[in-house]
Amino acid sequence: MSDDPYEILGVQRTASDNEIRKAYKKQAKELHPDLHPGDKSKEAAFQALSGAYDLLRDPDKRRRFDAGEIDAAGHEQPQRQYYRDYAGSDPQGRYSYNARSEDFEDFSDIFGDIFGRGSGRRTQSGTFSVDGGDLHFDLEIDFLDAALGAKQKLAFTRGDALEVTIPAGLREGQTLRLRGRGKPGIGGGKPGDALVTVHVRPHPQFSRDGNNIEVELPVSFDEAVLGGRAEVSTISGNVSMTIPSGVSSGHRLRLKGKGIHPKDGKAGDQFVRIRIVLPEKIDEQMRDLAREWREHVNHDPRTKQRRTA
Amino acid sequence: MRYEEREVVAQLQRLTVRELRGWVREGWVRPRQGENGPVYDELDIARIQLVCDLKKEMSIGVDMLPVVLSLIDQLHAARRDFRCLAAAVADQPEPNQQAISEAFRKVRNANS
Repeated sequence: MSDDPYEILGVQRTASDNEIRKAYKKQAKELHPDLHPGDKSKEAAFQALSGAYDLLRDPDKRRRFDAGEIDAAGHEQPQRQYYRDYAGSDPQGRYSYNARSEDFEDFSDIFGDIFGRGSGRRTQSGTFSVDGGDLHFDLEIDFLDAALGAKQKLAFTRGDALEVTIPAGLREGQTLRLRGRGKPGIGGGKPGDALVTVHVRPHPQFSRDGNNIEVELPVSFDEAVLGGRAEVSTISGNVSMTIPSGVSSGHRLRLKGKGIHPKDGKAGDQFVRIRIVLPEKIDEQMRDLAREWREHVNHDPRTKQRRTA
Repeated sequence: MRYEEREVVAQLQRLTVRELRGWVREGWVRPRQGENGPVYDELDIARIQLVCDLKKEMSIGVDMLPVVLSLIDQLHAARRDFRCLAAAVADQPEPNQQAISEAFRKVRNANS
């Protein structure tokens, strides 16, 4: 390494005090040993940088150096102890992070599960035993599997698989606990659990409110006026239902007990929401019929709105 | 070694008593409390040097300084735990050590 302070700082010999300070600041951020606790190589470089800066920041020393009266060697910084040299042993834990914070349990977010920090114990025979940690998984399943219940395989990269039983009526984000399927215990400790958080993919047709299912049923204008029968899909297959005469868009018809039936509980209902849909092309005859309808029906669906406005 | 406030300031020549008291108030430096005021040891002095470097030489502002210190403290806590882990591994019988280091390499390669 060069011992020319200008070279170390990477500045011209004509550099201003301000340029020197800037150059030092920039390099110090990269080289300060306490910002790189694991990198021993930074120490010598930072030492040299500090020495160079110490010499050049002082106008008198800099002038004498430039004039050749002194050399850089005399201005090396004394060997200094860095914080990192002490931080490893902080017996009272004054600066250890977890001594001040309750929610950051040091490393337990990583190691706690393995070593069961605090849960390790000496058994009576004197051997050490620790319960196995829990394993966390995410599983994405179809809407219908969540509604009706299913068995799903959770395959691991290491080749084995875990069979997960999805109970009927499982909700989005619910976590299933598979007892004993986590990490094995040590020294006779109990194995941990596998915790599977299940995400439910939305369904194009069905939506869900608790154990109730809602679907939309498009009906034609004449069906809405005259009533009729229509095939409606439910989570357990198609059913035929009656459309009463005179339904409007948004009207909800109930199919009792056709919702989700959880294992321990009452079955929900399916709600069928009516949506009146007109044909894409309206021909002259339809218009004539509508004019006739208008003459016959003196009905303003917006009277209520006007009253409240 | 135990140093009093004015000894620290005299030794370091980089800060005033006023500044030091301010840092203690902020919790950046946490000396023990002695009978006649705060008592500093080598750990505290190294810490004060670090705060001096960050604040004076690197112009880290008073609002960023606690953030930087907190990250450094967390890093040291992490390194302490890793040292304990390394010591625990070194304490294992030879075959276990090899199994752990092999598994470690495998997991690390899989995650990189």
